[in-house]
Amino acid sequence: MCDLFALSASQRYSAAASLPLFAVRGRQNVHGWGIGFFRQQQPVVEKSGEKVFQDGRLHGSFQRLARVVASPIILAHIRYKSSGKIDECHAHPFVLDFWGQSWIFAHNGKAPAMEAYVSQNRPVLEAASDSARAFEFLRDRFQEAAPRRSSGSFYQVLRESLARLIREYPGEYNFLLTNGRVLWVFTNHRQMLLLKGSSRLEDVLLLTTIEEGLSQENWQKITAAPGTWGKILLIAGGDLLLTADLEPAP
Amino acid sequence: MCELFAMSAGQHYTAQEYLPLFADKSRDNYSGWGIGFFRNGQVFIEKSCEGIYAGDMVHDSFQRLARVIDSRVILSHIRCTKSGHRKESHAQPLADKFLEHQWLFCFAGESKGCAAYASPRPIIEEDLLAARVFEFIRDGLLGQMADWPGLSLYQGLAVACKQLITQYPGEYIFLLANETVLFTFLNHSQVFLYRPPEALGEFLVLTTVAGGLTRAPDHWRAHAHTDPSRGQLLIVSGADLLHVGHV
Repeated sequence: MCDLFALSASQRYSAAASLPLFAVRGRQNVHGWGIGFFRQQQPVVEKSGEKVFQDGRLHGSFQRLARVVASPIILAHIRYKSSGKIDECHAHPFVLDFWGQSWIFAHNGKAPAMEAYVSQNRPVLEAASDSARAFEFLRDRFQEAAPRRSSGSFYQVLRESLARLIREYPGEYNFLLTNGRVLWVFTNHRQMLLLKGSSRLEDVLLLTTIEEGLSQENWQKITAAPGTWGKILLIAGGDLLLTADLEPAP
Repeated sequence: MCELFAMSAGQHYTAQEYLPLFADKSRDNYSGWGIGFFRNGQVFIEKSCEGIYAGDMVHDSFQRLARVIDSRVILSHIRCTKSGHRKESHAQPLADKFLEHQWLFCFAGESKGCAAYASPRPIIEEDLLAARVFEFIRDGLLGQMADWPGLSLYQGLAVACKQLITQYPGEYIFLLANETVLFTFLNHSQVFLYRPPEALGEFLVLTTVAGGLTRAPDHWRAHAHTDPSRGQLLIVSGADLLHVGHV
């Protein structure tokens, strides 16, 4: 199963301590890795189809990137494929534009039904995987809702899109979605672990799907509530701004 | 009534076009003005007890500040005295540090009861309703966050707002911002939001001025509230309205 990582801070920050730990604790994911962040409002993604951990060592590029990438929001993904090939183009994160801005997306989970989705919008992502199709699905719903941008909230559109995603393409979805200013998180399986103000890692907000967290500290476990379709989080700076359950929709 | 203004952007912007319009539309408020913004995580406030208009001109300092201040979040307040005196310390925004952030706060409204609120940590000692409302909201939010570790800021703030309108019924509109997010609460009147087309989605303007600030009021999206026992709480970050919730 893939794993996800995010760092969120009000200022530029590096994840020099937590990213290597994330890779070590998620080393059973052997099908690639990726790091995404924003620099001067532009998305930057570095990724690879190689193992993040091999022969007892972290991938050299991953290690170096962990030291030098500095941004208010940093995402990372280490892959254990459930869909698609093993190569750089299938590694996460992915980037698409909608709602007037660029978005970086990383997903963990299995959603085989999603692979059949065909987007009517362009561009489509090169990767042939449930994750790529799920991101396109969300992009397409936001494209449809674009006329509501001047009046509606992003949350409302996201909520409607997720309800439709779960209804039409049931599956396991944990994902991170950022425009470099805020981070939206969705989980409907496994868990997210959240830590704010670490004394051992970075003193920011850290998030991961790794079950034990990344340090011996008081990580807050966040899971979908029973009977719901999932949980939505909104994070900005070092703060958890909003949590909300996605209620089942007819 | 006092008038409020906010501009929120994904990167540093000036409000040089919209702050003068805001001043012009609020010219009847003669009791002072203020502009607050963030730079490198720190709060800066410039304010005055002088009228926003001097003769037929917008206050010179206000005009100059409007041109040069750039920030991701800019708040402004133009005051019409209903409580307190006409002095600079009573002009808004107000500022305080809590929950590891510097916060700016602007308020417009009326509440007889809340003026008597006695915070264990007053922001200013003087009689000023805006300060009491700010203290009540801050204390309530801190109490919620202490009682419920892991609670989101929105949920903590929503509870504090509910306590405010329950314990001290009144009419409240306030803006509360740190360097990345702007919360807006209202339980009466309305706020107007506008994402100017020429800004290419890069910033969003919010004001309490009826009809908005430009000559095309239909471009301004109104969020109105008429039941003072309830309220709306908006979250804005960058150029996006992220969430509208009901308290």
